[in-house]
Formats: sequence, C-alpha cells, structure tokens
Amino acid sequence: MMRKLLTVAGQSAQAPLKRNFAGLFAEAVLIGIGFALLVPFLRAFLGGDIELAWRWLGVIAGLLIIYALVRYWTQMTGYRAAIALARILFSQLGTHISRLPLGWFVSGRVGQLARMTSKGVIDVMGVPAHLLRPVVAGIVTPATVVALMFVFDWRLALAALLTAPVAALVYRWSGSLVQTTDHRVDAAAADAADRIVEFAQAQAVLRAFRRGEASLGKLDQSLVEQRHAARNQIFTAARGIASFILVVQAGFTIVLLYGFNLALGGEIDPAEFIVLLVLAVRYVEPLIIAADLEGALRISRNSLDRMDRLLATPSLPEPRSPKEPDGVEIVFDDVDFAYEKKPVLKKVGFIAPERGMTAIVGPSGSGKTTILRLIARFWDVNSGAVRIGGIDVRDLATEDLMGMISVVFQDVYLFDGTIAENIRLGRPGASDAELLEAARLARVDEIAEKLPDGLSARVGEGGAALSGGERQRVSIARAILKDAPIVLLDEATAALDPINDAAVQEALQALTDKKTLIVVAHRLQTIQSADRILVLEGGQIVETGNHADLLSADGRYAAFWHERNRAAGWRLQDTPQPALQPEP
Amino acid sequence: MSEKVEQKSPSPISRLIAPVTGRIYLACVFQAFSTVSGIVPFIAVGELGRVLLSAAPVDEERAWWIVAAAVVALACRFLFLMTASGLTHLADIDLQLILRRQMAARLSRVALGWFDRRNAGAVKKALQDDVTALHHLVGHSYTDMVSALITPAITFAYLAWVDWRLTLVVSIPLVFGIGLYALQFRGYGAKMTAYNNALGAVNTAAIEFVQGIAVIKTFGQARQAYGRFIEKTGEFVDYFWNWVRGLLTISAASEIVMSPLFSIAMALVGGLVLVGGGTMPAVDVLPFVVLAPALTAPFLTLAFAQNDMMLAKEAAARIVSLLDTPVLAAPVSDARPENSRVAFDGVSFAYDGETEVLSKVDLVLEPGTVTALVGPSGSGKSTLARLLPRFWDPQAGSISIGKIALPELAPDVLYEQVGFVFQNVQLVRGTIAENIALGRPDATTEDIEAAARAAQIHDRIMELPHGYASVVGQDARLSGGEEQRISIARAILADAPIVVLDEATAFADPESEAAIQDALSHLIAGRTLLVIAHRLHTIVGADQICVMDEGRIVARGKHDDLLRESPLYRRLWSAGGPGRDVCLEAVQ
Repeated sequence: MMRKLLTVAGQSAQAPLKRNFAGLFAEAVLIGIGFALLVPFLRAFLGGDIELAWRWLGVIAGLLIIYALVRYWTQMTGYRAAIALARILFSQLGTHISRLPLGWFVSGRVGQLARMTSKGVIDVMGVPAHLLRPVVAGIVTPATVVALMFVFDWRLALAALLTAPVAALVYRWSGSLVQTTDHRVDAAAADAADRIVEFAQAQAVLRAFRRGEASLGKLDQSLVEQRHAARNQIFTAARGIASFILVVQAGFTIVLLYGFNLALGGEIDPAEFIVLLVLAVRYVEPLIIAADLEGALRISRNSLDRMDRLLATPSLPEPRSPKEPDGVEIVFDDVDFAYEKKPVLKKVGFIAPERGMTAIVGPSGSGKTTILRLIARFWDVNSGAVRIGGIDVRDLATEDLMGMISVVFQDVYLFDGTIAENIRLGRPGASDAELLEAARLARVDEIAEKLPDGLSARVGEGGAALSGGERQRVSIARAILKDAPIVLLDEATAALDPINDAAVQEALQALTDKKTLIVVAHRLQTIQSADRILVLEGGQIVETGNHADLLSADGRYAAFWHERNRAAGWRLQDTPQPALQPEP
Repeated sequence: MSEKVEQKSPSPISRLIAPVTGRIYLACVFQAFSTVSGIVPFIAVGELGRVLLSAAPVDEERAWWIVAAAVVALACRFLFLMTASGLTHLADIDLQLILRRQMAARLSRVALGWFDRRNAGAVKKALQDDVTALHHLVGHSYTDMVSALITPAITFAYLAWVDWRLTLVVSIPLVFGIGLYALQFRGYGAKMTAYNNALGAVNTAAIEFVQGIAVIKTFGQARQAYGRFIEKTGEFVDYFWNWVRGLLTISAASEIVMSPLFSIAMALVGGLVLVGGGTMPAVDVLPFVVLAPALTAPFLTLAFAQNDMMLAKEAAARIVSLLDTPVLAAPVSDARPENSRVAFDGVSFAYDGETEVLSKVDLVLEPGTVTALVGPSGSGKSTLARLLPRFWDPQAGSISIGKIALPELAPDVLYEQVGFVFQNVQLVRGTIAENIALGRPDATTEDIEAAARAAQIHDRIMELPHGYASVVGQDARLSGGEEQRISIARAILADAPIVVLDEATAFADPESEAAIQDALSHLIAGRTLLVIAHRLHTIVGADQICVMDEGRIVARGKHDDLLRESPLYRRLWSAGGPGRDVCLEAVQ
C-alpha cells in the first residue's frame, strides 16, 4: 500500500511522505525503548535502590521528551504530506482526466469519477494524516519490545516471539477464509441491487400489469439470499477472528505460565519476571489496535487502487510535430474499429467532400454514431485512417482538431451557469453582438424572452431548467458562435413539440449552412437533401450515392425509404395491417 | 454522548434500530462482562507482583490462584467477546433485511409518479448503501462504547483501592487530555459547517468537471476547465490546511499527554515520591505501571465512534425520509366500474403543491373513442395523461371510470381497466414469454404468440436462440424499437379497455417506426384511447382533440373545426404540419 501511495503521489509528494514514514518509525521505536526501560527502572525500584531508580526515571523522562518532539514533528509532517498529496492528486487526476479519450466518458463512469476526485482524495489524505501512525506503531513497537526482551531474558522473549509467526499465519488464513465467502456476498449484493433497480424502474409496468406483489416476492428472495450470504460470511469469518484472538491470548498465557514456573523454580528473578510480564502486556495491545483499523485502511486502499487504475488508462497520444490540414475534406480510409473487443466498423471507406452534406442512415447499432465520434477522435481507429484535409487526425494537435469541429449530439450538456455563459463557451473571445446574433439565429432569443432574466437566466444543473428542445437550441447557438468549418450532427430521435421542433430545424439550418456537414440522419427531409448518403449495416457501408441514384438502384436504401415514408404518413386510426401469419 | 441525545427525541437511528435494540442491549451486557474479564489479567499481573515481590515469604497458593484467575479470565473474555460481537453482527444482518423489506413495501405503495422523478440509482443507494452504512453502528459502535466507558471506570476503582493518592496522580493526564481535547473542539460546529461547504464545493467542481469535460474538450477549452477544477480544489485544500494547522499543536499535545508512555511516567514519578517518602510499599506501584494507560486509551475509541455515529445518522436520515414517503390512499370499497367512460372533473394538479401544472381541467372520454391531447411542451398534456393510470393523485377535482372515482378502485381493478404505453419501455428480467404475459400469467402459448404477431415482433422473437424462452438481456439483445413492440404485445394481451398512449413512442426508434405504428394500430383498435400527440397529422381523425396551453384545455373539437377556431392549433399545425416530414415518394 505504501508503495502504491508513493507511485501515485509522484515526485513532489514523495519526499514528505517518506519523511513522515521515517518519523513514525522512529516514534514507534522510541515507545518500544521507553517500555523496555521499565525493566532497569523496576529492577532498581523494586530492589530498593531509589537513587538508581530516579536516575533511570531521568532517562525515561529524557526519552519521553524526545518522543514528544518526534511525535509533534510527525503530526506536522503527516498533515503536510496529506496536503501535498491532496494537491498532487487533484492536479494529476485533473490532468489525466482532461487527456482521456472522449469516448471514455460514458455515463456510468462519470459518477464514479466525480466521487474519486472528491471523496476519494480525502480518503487517501487520511493515510498520512492519521491512519498510518497506529499501523506503524502496531508492528514496530511490539517488534522493538520483543527484540529488547532478548537483552533481558531470552527464554521469555522466545516464548513471546513464538506466537508472532503463528498469529501472522492465522491472520492470513482468516483473511483468505473471508475472501472465499466474499464472492457469494458480492454476488448476492449485486443480484439484490439489480432487483432493486428493476423494482424501481419497472414499478409503473409492474403495477399496471398487477404484478406488484409478485415482483416484491422476487426482490424479497434476493434480499433473503443476501442475508444468507452475509450470515454465512459472519460464521466463517468468526472462525478466523476467534483463532486470531486465541493465538494472541495464548501468547500471553504461555509467557505468564512459563515465566511463573521459572520464577517459582528460582530460575528467574521474580522482579524481572513481573517486569517482562508488564512488557508482554504492552506487546499485545498495539497489535489489536492496528487490526481494528483494517476497515478504514481498506477504504483508502480501494480509493488508491481506483486512482491508480485511472492514471494507468492510456490517454490519446498527442502528435510530436502536429501537422496543418489542407482544407476540410474528410476521408475514411479502410477503417476498422472495435469497442471493447466488439467490432463496430469494418473496412469503412468514404469521402465527405468539403462544404458538402453527407448523411449516414442505417438500423440502430450499425455504427452510425461511431463514425461521427471517430472524426472527433473520441477514440483512435484500430486500422486504417481518418483524415481531415489530407492529414491523419492522429497527426493533428487536439486543440486544432477540436477547433475545426462543431459537435451537436443528442445528449446536450449545459453548465450550471447562465444561458449567455453557455453560449459563450463556443468562443470565449466573441463580442456581445456576436453572441446575440448566434442566440438569434438559434432562436434562443425566443426562449430568453419568456424568462425573467433573459439570456442571464440560469439553466440549472445540466440545463434542467430548460426543456429538451430548448437545451438543443442553446447547444446549437454555442456551435453557431464557434463557427467551425466541420459540423458533426446526430439528429435527435426524441419527440419535440411541433413549435420547438421547427425552431430547432431553423437553428440547424443556420449552423450547417456552407459547412462540411456529416449527419446521422433520421428525418426524411434531411436525408433527401444530402449530397451523399452512406447506408450502413452491421458496421459496413452497403450502399452509397445520392437520394435519386439510391432509390433507382432499388436496394436496401429504397426499401428503407419506402418503409419510412409509410411511417411518416401514418395515422393513428389506420386499419391495422393483418397480423403476420405463422411461418409454414 | 450521542446516546443521551437519542433518548430525548426519537432520532432516526433509534427508530430504525428499534427491531434489534433488545439484542444490542444484550450484546452490551456481554461486552461489559468481556471488558471486565479483559481487565482481570492486567490486575493479575499487578497482584502477582505484589505477592511475588512482597517482603514476606511468597504465598505460592495465592500466586497460583492469581495466575489461574488470569487464565480463566482470558478464556471468559474470549467467549463473552465472541458472543457480544456475534449478537451484534447477526442483529445487523437481520436489521438490514428488515429495513430493506420495509422500504420495498413502502415503495410499492407510493405514487407511481414518484419513480418518474427519481432515478433507480437513488433507490438502490437507499436500499443497499445506506442500509450497509448502518453496519458499523449496529455491529461495533455500541459495544465499543460500553468498553470505552467500563474500562477506565473499573481501572480507576481498582487503582483507588490499591492507593488513592497515586490514582489521583495517574488521573492527571486524563484531565489534561480532556481539557486539551475540549480546547481543540472549541468553535468546532461552525468550522465543521465551513468545512462541509468547502467539501461541497469540491464535489460540485468535480461533478461539473468530469460531466462537462467531454463537451468542454470539443470546444477546445479543457485547459480552462482544468484550471477551474484546480482552483476550487486548491481553495478546499487551503481552507482545510488553515483550519487544521492551528489545531495540530493542541491535538499533538493532547495525544502525547494521553499516550501510554506518559501515563506510565506519571505513575513512576508519583510512585517514586510516595515510596521514597515511605508511605507506600514499592510493589504497590506495579498495578499502576500496568493499568495507568487503560485510563486514557479508550478515549480514542470514543472519538472514532462519534465519527461512525455521524455517518450512520446521515444514512439513517435518508432511510427514514424514504420510509416516510407519502403513500397513495388505499381503497376501502371493492367497487367495479360499470363501463369505461372516463371523466376528469375540475382536475387541478401541482408537482410541488404550489405551481399548478393543471388547472380545473374537465374532460370526458366516451367509451370506444379516441381523444388526443396536443399543445406546446410544458402545456400539461403528459401530466394530464399520467393522472389516469394514477401516477399521481390530483390536488383538486376528481377522475372517475364508469362513475367510480380512481381512489375508490383497488389497484388491480384500476389496471384491469387502464393500460398504458409510454416511451420508457421496461422489460423485466425473465423470458420474452414472461414479459409478454406479465399482465396475464395464465395466458396460453397461443395467446402470447397472437399478441406478439399483432405487435409485429413474432418473427424477431423466432430468430432468437431460444425463441419465446430467450431470457431478456442474456440470450436476447433487443433494440429500443423491439423492446417497445414487446411492451405493446404485453398491453395487447392484458386487454385493458382504456389505453393511455404517448404517440412519441412510435418515433423513439426511427428505424422500426413503421413496425411500432402497426403494433399500435392493433393495440388501440376498439378501445377508449387517450393519446399524447406530437405529430398532428397522426391524429387528424381523432373523435376529439384537446388543445392544451398552460395547464388548461383552451379548445376542443375535431380537426377541421379546430383549424378554423383555434389560433394555437393553427400555429401547431403549420409549424409541424405534414409538409415538414412527409415526403411524397419521388420515384414510384
């Protein structure tokens, strides 16, 4: 764990961490020596030599002062190290996150990441601040005490030491025992979690179909299984913990009985025996305190592991000598791409001409959106190349690439600021007049008119104060202000009310005018007006051409077109098509 | 400490743990025994010293008794300890099940709309994570506190019995330690609030940074966003450091004063003085050397327990608020509607109880007719439609089916009458057949297949590896449109006479729009239909079209009448009219 902490900490936090660790070590040794000094003190004291006892007490007092100074120093360095660690973690995680490929940010990960960069860092700060001390003391102090016991009486020291390897073995064994039950506990918890999610998500359906009771039954089963698994773990873990406590207690019992025997037989000075017993008591205690902290340590360790994994996630390589593109023609050259080992695009090749409109159509899951994402370099291709203006996107500096592209996707994210701030994100240097013009073109001015604060109205977290269509219009205004030569558009499938829908269409018109446009198209009008249509199926381009050519070819596209047309003309009360007959 | 607070008013924690309080008390008794037995060996060491080292000849029999007492006490400590923690841990596990069941039972009675406004992740968090967060409290904190209180008390009593003067001396560190500790916590509340605020700012910064980073990057401004994140987190670190720096000296001092070595040193000094003065036998100092640290050691445990208590309190508050979610009133009668005539009568509704989303809406759905709700977004059409399957209850007015008000209908009877197909499809874990037959578990294979055919999904199901027996999500990866058609098959099979439909359903998945539309046509044939319409041309033939604006029905009638009479309808029609989407086929 220490090693991982040091690697994650990096250069600048390493030094304070190491200093702190050295200090804690010294502190623990000093305590051990302090306990051991009780032996000469008590010998003198019980032997009646008060003078000598005072002298030993002086030594102990001196040691106590040194201990206090070291303790004060480690307190300071511990928190300094925690502070240094926090700063370095925030900056490293922040840097790495801003360099991760865009494709990495799927919704499930985002929440986890937010936790890691807030609570996770604080958990890790706790290690140098207060968790490390008892752990170091729990190991180093008893070790010092045992080592020094050898100086006084090797037999009792050996008896005390005897239990250490056994205790260590039992500790590991009990850990592995718990691990064997972990699997069942985790599985039961995951299953119950799934059931709970289903129970909540499907509640409307479950009740509507009068299955509320039945589904509660299934959920209940999984909750009961979770209880069984937990009980099973408790009983298994209890064996391990009981054994550990027994071994530690047995260690003390052995020293007590064995030493008592020696003392009665006159083989050891009773005073010395009692003093060593005092030491043996001191030997056991820190061990148990350290074992108690396991839970808190595990939380920090898990946070650290997650950070380590995140930092190990490769970021997209930046070109060493970025090139300048010549124009904005987009070329896919035999592109293969797999996402998490599942092939998504196979040998996709096409040219999207400058200032032309290229529409991509095809069934869901055919890889349409992936094409847009590869242009924006959400990921890198597995083989082949994506080129803009003759230059591989991997040879473009990220900022240059992003500067050339406006992305209008379905999931719009707005920042918790004003409408104007959200639009200005498109080009921070834009004048107020330019901003207003973009707002007007995207018909955001109409939205603002209805709000008390106009363009200075706050949009709420993630844009929650606006409707879906309104959010889209703000995001389009942002893109209009940016005025990039390439527009990547994922046409919305979700239903908007007619007025909003018309506004969005007009806004898009203003945005895409005279731009190189690549669009994942759902609207028949959009598709029809494209210069070139790519028909995608199963990750491959099966047809390409313009609308008229493709219709006359009477292939996949034509079938798709007729079907969609029929759908567009559908009325609710149309006579149902006869149900399909069973296959002969 | 916190326990006292609990006794005054029933706190969330004491309310939640009520079912296992008895077992926790019992465990505390065992823990008390275990703590006492745990101190006995320490006392034995001191006593053994007094026997072995006394000036008089050694009383071997007494020495043996002491050793035996130590060994027996150790064994007892072990047994009591295992019993106590076994009791609390098993109680914890039982409590988890009890709380999860209580929450699930509660949730199955709250208004359906409640789930609309929350994501399932939050429910999962309450049922799993928050319940688990109580573990440390139930499993450890109470028994830990018993130990932490009993250990110093017994130690003090024993030491005072040996020599009360030296006992006072070794108590000095505790007094100083507590004093310093109190000093450390002066103004703690205000500082803690400021700390939590700073922490909250870090959370917000982190969420905004990671959620927005993808968007930010596409605008080439990752550097600024990173700068903002670093600035906010830097502020937090600075705040934390400024706060803590001033306290480090005091906290180091209090911990040094309460350290075992310091306590022992105090015992030695006091012992030397007293023994040197001839008022105390040297051997009597031994118990103090062994036990003085036990006076201060539990203090840390108490500090830790406080922290756990705080975390548990937060979790408990969330659980309690979930358990207190208002539930829909349960019907008392077993009335059944005589027909499927639906009447909304002066219905008003507000999600927050203040801002009315619907105001005094009157609407009648005659059996077998189609009623369409149209209007700009935010006009209340979805809310109105959701009141019929009782996602929410209106604050004023009433809704009835066949002259019986919705709250009078048992849920089973209500949903026998009302089916709905909305955009967010929910398939449950199980086979395709089970999903289709959800509303009619007794349906035959033929019934299920017929429904699937009508919903245009039979062929697709037959392509799956196990056909109708394919398990959703495992054998069958279905597209949104396919899931949608299964949900329509479900509604067809359930055969409720009244159907509430979101027309957007059809084009949520453009690729299978035509198939979904055919499925919908089958579903609605011959039923009383209430449809939320987005594309006006789909509902031109409706028996009645209600134009909604700002929570009211501002016009109603047939398509042609409305085109003449309602300016809003005209605007909606021209904005989204047929010309925009329907393209006549270019080549025939």
